[in-house]
Amino acid sequence: MDRILKTRLEARLAEHLRGPVYQRHDETEIRIEPGSVPEVLRILHDAVDLRFEILADLAGVDTGEVMQVVYHLWSPMASDWLRIIADGLSRDDPRAPSATFLWTGAEWLEREAYDMFGIVFEGNRDLRRIFMPPDYTSFPLRKDFLLPDDSARSPGAGVRHVERGYGPAGLADDPAAGIRRAPAS
Amino acid sequence: MPPRQNASRPTTTGTRVQAQPQPSTDDPRIMLDRQIGADLFEPIPPYPPRTEREGEFYTLGDGEMFLNVGPHHPATHGVLRLVLKLSGEQVVDVDPVLGYLHRGVEKICENSDYYHVIDQVDPLEYISSLFQEWAAVLSFEKLMDVEVPRRAEYIRVLSGELLRIASHTLYMGFLALDLGGLTPILYGFIERDEIVEMLAALTGARMLFNYFRIGGVNGDLNHEFMSRLGDWMSRAARQTEASAGLLNENEIFVRRTRGMGVLDRATALRFGVTGGNLRATGVPFDVRRAHPYSVYPELDFSIPTRTEGDSLARYLIRVDEVRESIKIIDQCLHNIPDGPVMAKLPRLLRPRPGRSWGACEGPRGMMGVYSISDGSDGPFRFRIHDPSFVNLETVPALLPGNLLADTMAIVASLDPVMGGIDK
Repeated sequence: MDRILKTRLEARLAEHLRGPVYQRHDETEIRIEPGSVPEVLRILHDAVDLRFEILADLAGVDTGEVMQVVYHLWSPMASDWLRIIADGLSRDDPRAPSATFLWTGAEWLEREAYDMFGIVFEGNRDLRRIFMPPDYTSFPLRKDFLLPDDSARSPGAGVRHVERGYGPAGLADDPAAGIRRAPAS
Repeated sequence: MPPRQNASRPTTTGTRVQAQPQPSTDDPRIMLDRQIGADLFEPIPPYPPRTEREGEFYTLGDGEMFLNVGPHHPATHGVLRLVLKLSGEQVVDVDPVLGYLHRGVEKICENSDYYHVIDQVDPLEYISSLFQEWAAVLSFEKLMDVEVPRRAEYIRVLSGELLRIASHTLYMGFLALDLGGLTPILYGFIERDEIVEMLAALTGARMLFNYFRIGGVNGDLNHEFMSRLGDWMSRAARQTEASAGLLNENEIFVRRTRGMGVLDRATALRFGVTGGNLRATGVPFDVRRAHPYSVYPELDFSIPTRTEGDSLARYLIRVDEVRESIKIIDQCLHNIPDGPVMAKLPRLLRPRPGRSWGACEGPRGMMGVYSISDGSDGPFRFRIHDPSFVNLETVPALLPGNLLADTMAIVASLDPVMGGIDK
C-alpha cells in the first residue's frame, strides 16, 4: 500500500472523489462520477507528482444495478496500481466520456466495452462492435443477457441447433429473473 | 450473354458502392451462406457505415483499391482479417477486423468457479498459456489473501521463463518466415519442442498446461523434467547465439526490418503498448521490474531496451530477453528452496466480496486480470487484458506509407496471437 499516493490523490482530486481512497494489497482505488473522467485522467496523467502514463486496462462492469467503467493505470512514481471506477452509469442508457483524447489505445478497449456492455463512449471516433457480428443486437456480458433469447435475434438463429430456443420457459419473458447482482460495496 | 455484373466492385471513385441485393428466399441456410459469403469475400460491408471512421475508410479515393488479407491467410498469425486500402502497392489505410476467434472466455469464466477459470484461460494465448494462468492466479490470490509457498513461486518463475524462451524463439522464426526465410522457423521449432517436452514432463500437457493453481502449482519438479532441463541448459546459450546469428547477420533480413514500422516512444505510450514492443521504443517498462510480483525482486536480470522502435529493434529485444531468461533460469535452479508447492486451501473457494487486479509480464507484454468477487464460488466479473490486443491496435498507425509486401513483416514483428486478441 502506497500511503504517499493516497495523500497525493486526496490533495489533487479532492473535489472529484466520491468516497474515500481505498487501498488493499498493491492496489489503490478511487471512485469518481463518469462526468469527471476526462478531468481526472488529465490530472493523473499530467501532474508531476502522479505521472500515470500507462493505461493498463479499461473495462466495463455491469453490477446488476449500475454500469461502471474501470481504468487501471501505472505510474513510475507510485508502487501501487491505480484503479479508477467511474461509477453509476445508468443501465438503460450507459454513457461515459471517452479516454481517447489522452490514450489513443483506449479506442479499441472502449469498442470492446461497447460491444460487451453497450456503454457508449462519447468522443470515440470509431465506436462499433469489435468481436460480435455487426448485426448483433444484444450485449453479451450484461447480467441480463440470456443466450437462447438474445442469440435468437442474430442472423444465424435457427440454423445452429444450439441456438434454437431452449432454456427455461418464461425466463426470457421476465428481464429481472436470473440476474446475478453484485453486493453493495 | 450479358456482361457479368459485379456491382460490389467500386466503379467510380469517391463513392461508396453497395453490394447488389440478391433475390430473397425463405431458407435461412441460404441466407446465412450469403451472409457469410458477403462477410468473407467482400471488403465493403453490406450495411451502411456505423461510424465516421468506417465511412471514411470504406470510401475510395482516386486510384485506390481494397485488398482483403485473411481471415484465412498463413501470414496473419491466426484468423486476423486486414482490409487494406491500397494506392498502387502502397498501403494508404488499414482496418483490422477481429472477432473470428471470439469464444466469450470472459463470460465462460463468470459462469465457472475459481478452480475452473485457470482451465478456461489457458487457450487464450496458446503459445504461452502459463502467463495467462499466472495473471489469473495473481488476481485470485490477492482476492483471497493467499500466501504462495516460496518453492511454488520459484517453480512458476522457472516454467514461465522457459515458456518465454519458447515463445520468443518461435517469434523469431515466424518473423523470418513472413519475410520469406524458411530456415529459422525450423530451428525455432526444434528449440520450442525441447522446452515443450520438458514442460510436458512437468505438467502433463504440451500446450495447454493448466499447471498453476490458486496458492501454488499442480506438482513438484520431477526427475524427468530436471534431467531434460539440465541437458538443455548445457547448450541453451550456445544454441540461442547460433539461431540468432542466423538472422542478425543476414543482410536481407536486416534490410527488410530496419526502419520498418517505426513506433516512437510517445505514440507507444499513447497506445498503451507493452512488452518488447514498448521496450524497443526506449521505455524500460517490464512488469517484472516496474511492479514486481512473485520472486522477481530476488533475481538478478536486466531489462533490455532499444531506442529505434522499428521491426529490427523489436526482434533484437526478443533475442536479448532470451539471454536474460536463461540467466533467470540458472538462478532459479541455484536458489530454489525446499518446501511445499501448494498453500492449504479449502475445496470450495468463497472469497469475501472485493476487487483485485493482477498483472504479470508475458512474452508479448502485460497480461492483466481484473476480477470481482461477490462472495460466491466464482468470479462475478472476470476481465482479461491481453497485450496483443493493444499491440495490434497500432497496426493502422504503422502500416500506412509502407509497401504491401512489408505489411506482414510489420504485423509479425508486433507478435500478435489471435487467441488472446479475440478472447
